[in-house]
Amino acid sequence: MFSPLVEQSAVALSMTSVSVSTCRDRTAEFRSLSQTLTRMEGVSTADAAAAGIGPSTTKSSLQHASSRSEFNKKVSRLGLGIHEASQKIARLAKWAKRSSMFNDPTVEIQELSALIKDDITTLNAAIADLQTFQNLEIVDGNYSDDMVVHAHAVCDDLNKRLMLATKQFQDVLTTRTENIMAHQTRKQIFSTGGSRQSPIQHLAKSMNQPPPWSNSSSATGTLQPTVMPSNGFQAGNQLRRRLAGDSTVTHQMEVSMLSEEVAHQENRSHGRASALQDVESTISELSGIFMHLATMVSRQGELAIRIDDNMDESLANVEGSHSALLKHLNQISSNRSLLIKIFAVLILFLLIFIFFIG
Amino acid sequence: MSLNLRQKQSECIIRMLNLNQPVNATTGMANEEVYKILIYDRFCQDILSPLIHVKDLRKHGVTLYFLIDKERKPVGDVPAVYFVQPTTPNIQRIAADASKSLYDVFHVNFSSSIPRPLLEDLASGALKSDSIHRISKVHDQYLEFVTLEDNLFSLADKNCFVQLNDPSAGDREIEAIVDKIVSGLFCVLATLAVVPIIRCPQGGPAEMVASALDQKLRDHLLAKNNLFTEGGNFTSSFQRPILCIFDRNFELAVGIQHDFRYKPLVHDVLGLRLNRLSVQGEKGGMKSYELDNSDPFWAANGSLEFPEVAVEIETQLNKYKKDVDEVNRRTGGTKGAELDGSDLVGNTKHLMSAVNSLPELTERKQVIDKHTNIATVLLSEIKERSLDSYAKKEYDMMVRGSIDRSELMSVLKGKGTSNDKLRFAIMYLISSENIPQSEVDIVEAALREAEVDTSSFQYVKKIKSLNVSLASVSSASRGNIVDWAEKLYGQSISAVTAGVKNLLSSDRQLALTRTVEALMEGKPNPEIDSYILFDPRAPKSSSGSHLRGPFKESIVFMIGGGNYVEHGSLQELAHRQQPVKHIIYGTTEILTGGEFIEQLAFLGKKMGLGGSTAAAPN
Repeated sequence: MFSPLVEQSAVALSMTSVSVSTCRDRTAEFRSLSQTLTRMEGVSTADAAAAGIGPSTTKSSLQHASSRSEFNKKVSRLGLGIHEASQKIARLAKWAKRSSMFNDPTVEIQELSALIKDDITTLNAAIADLQTFQNLEIVDGNYSDDMVVHAHAVCDDLNKRLMLATKQFQDVLTTRTENIMAHQTRKQIFSTGGSRQSPIQHLAKSMNQPPPWSNSSSATGTLQPTVMPSNGFQAGNQLRRRLAGDSTVTHQMEVSMLSEEVAHQENRSHGRASALQDVESTISELSGIFMHLATMVSRQGELAIRIDDNMDESLANVEGSHSALLKHLNQISSNRSLLIKIFAVLILFLLIFIFFIG
Repeated sequence: MSLNLRQKQSECIIRMLNLNQPVNATTGMANEEVYKILIYDRFCQDILSPLIHVKDLRKHGVTLYFLIDKERKPVGDVPAVYFVQPTTPNIQRIAADASKSLYDVFHVNFSSSIPRPLLEDLASGALKSDSIHRISKVHDQYLEFVTLEDNLFSLADKNCFVQLNDPSAGDREIEAIVDKIVSGLFCVLATLAVVPIIRCPQGGPAEMVASALDQKLRDHLLAKNNLFTEGGNFTSSFQRPILCIFDRNFELAVGIQHDFRYKPLVHDVLGLRLNRLSVQGEKGGMKSYELDNSDPFWAANGSLEFPEVAVEIETQLNKYKKDVDEVNRRTGGTKGAELDGSDLVGNTKHLMSAVNSLPELTERKQVIDKHTNIATVLLSEIKERSLDSYAKKEYDMMVRGSIDRSELMSVLKGKGTSNDKLRFAIMYLISSENIPQSEVDIVEAALREAEVDTSSFQYVKKIKSLNVSLASVSSASRGNIVDWAEKLYGQSISAVTAGVKNLLSSDRQLALTRTVEALMEGKPNPEIDSYILFDPRAPKSSSGSHLRGPFKESIVFMIGGGNYVEHGSLQELAHRQQPVKHIIYGTTEILTGGEFIEQLAFLGKKMGLGGSTAAAPN
């Protein structure tokens, strides 16, 4: 019956009012109450309190406050650092997704990933630093048990957040590797479909993947033609030496055989290159799997605990009952029975002695 | 826009954990993560434990959580969030903590509105120790209710039925109880941020609660910045839900009968409390499980009858086994590792997908194991107490309105705990309209023979004689044609029609469900025409509101105790409607059959019907 427009506006209005808090702030009332009460009680009590307690407590509290707030400052700085790092990782992820074959912002991505790596290593070091600082504090200062638990929990939380950020970074790198591989296969398809103009150049490109044991931000496609041409020429030399011994082969055949041989080698190198690529991607994926497993294993430790898991309470109860039982046992097995038995035996012997003597 | 109470309450609690600053979910964590400590009392622990796990607490920066009564050590330089009820011991404890400077800053949140005198106590207590600067914020959270599922809540108000029906209760006590219920309901409405239309039957606690709630809402709406900014004057009934308030005496049978569906069984037999269950594990030793909406099996199959649940578990187990075999086959895990050199990449891809699906598979297995364990324990209990025959016979009794005498006797002398027999006998009392006194005496004698405390039986007998409404409700469910058939053709025909009726409606409709359906439809209906209507938004002068039209959403509240049977049947009603409607069910406390019988027994003893001294049930 109601027009959809009216209902839509109704829903919109109700949606905006969702953010209205359903709780009441009584702080102002509380403050005014405290002021009226102070005025009622008069100025004298306030003065006495201020004068008596004054300097000593404030100084010690300031000392304590300064050392503890240093911990807090470090914690907040670390938290901010982790937040910034994850923002950078998000930006990197956007770029990695966006990159196409022709418009590859390789340099920026390289720089950014190097930057992020540095950040993560510094943050890691900072967290380790914080933990040692906190351990020292625990030994020095008089930290209560609860404070120790709190500090440990804070460090654990920071560690976890850093680990999440690292995992995100790794995911971004894996997607980047996949993208690069996809680009290169596309390049190969396009280029091998065309002429075989510079097989050596192709060889150079494909062979110059960084060796598979470098699993940093790898496969960025920076081409450094260093090794390949010499290999090709060496093979060509070997071939010519063999051919030279054979006098019946004509020059043309020689050239064709040479080109054939080079083509074979090119295929082999292609095969080797793709194999290397495969191995490299496999290794990176495996490392991803292991990291995943590690996070799974570590997360298993944090089961779904509910607040009212009365583990500590029951442990306290068991210990209490244990001590009560021990006390009871001690009371029962007092020395009295032992003494009585000893005396009885002694008296018996005495009687027998007297009986036999007398 | 459907009302999801659990989500709204979680949001409020998360906001409270963020020191009552708005949570900006888009930018993720706040720029400066503040680590805090959470302190609660026992009542608020019950509120928090079904909603938030320790994992979520850690996510919102809570490192430690304590009970307020526990001995706590100072953790300086860290803010503390208190979430407690506004009672005097709590206030004293907070003031003591502030004086000892246990924490840096205190954010105090009360689960309902703190009255002015207590606020003054807190201020003076903190002033005495000159630590008033530590208490930085005081908030009223209006969260004093326990939400178990999206649409099920309870006020955790113990022994409410006993207190309301106690013959020796004075006016002031009744008023206190009514106030407590009203404040709990007000918290629910404040969290949902709706002002509903209130309807209730005439007379009894329901009317008292309804009128008091109406008054409270009116007073509240007069204030400038009230909690119910619904924006604009929506006079259409489509936007406002209806709040139906009932009293337990309206339909006593539901609280007592044996039901054979999964959720009611687990609650009644195994003692499900706050979504947590402890059962004997298969290898001995108690296992503790959590059963809530995050458990897909529980959410999907909670309202099925028990044999069907067992079948479902089997199906799920077979599906799981098939999936595991599939994963093994794809990664070559079972039949000797064939390292296919050329397909290395393919293999690793399979391996990766297998590893990614491992957590999901483990979780499924855990759920299946959990429910298998629960079902096994349930089955042994059912066999021991022959609960299936109790459930079936009680159902037959309610539908037919009578039972064969020999059958009745055989049940009373047969298997089952004394509670079961008592419940069966009371169901017999309620189901049949006119029972000759001789029959009742025989039943009572049989009960005494079985050494069963008959105070609750006597109480129900007394109530039945006082008001005939108990019986009339069940007769309406049978309908006129069955009466006519019985009168003319005798037992056989009635059995046939009863059988047919069973075919027509798979579960006998509770009177509550029928009434709620009628109220939500809003058409004139002789059953509900006498119901009173309150509309807190309408000006006091206007006599009746026009808002009786069809309602899309409703909140049903049962004073005195409810259970999962009512909840399940209301959900069925909601899903049965043509545009699917939403019903939230709430009660003062969720009682098993046994607990309810205890309360009836206490009342019987109070009235002097049982003989022995009365001891309050806990």
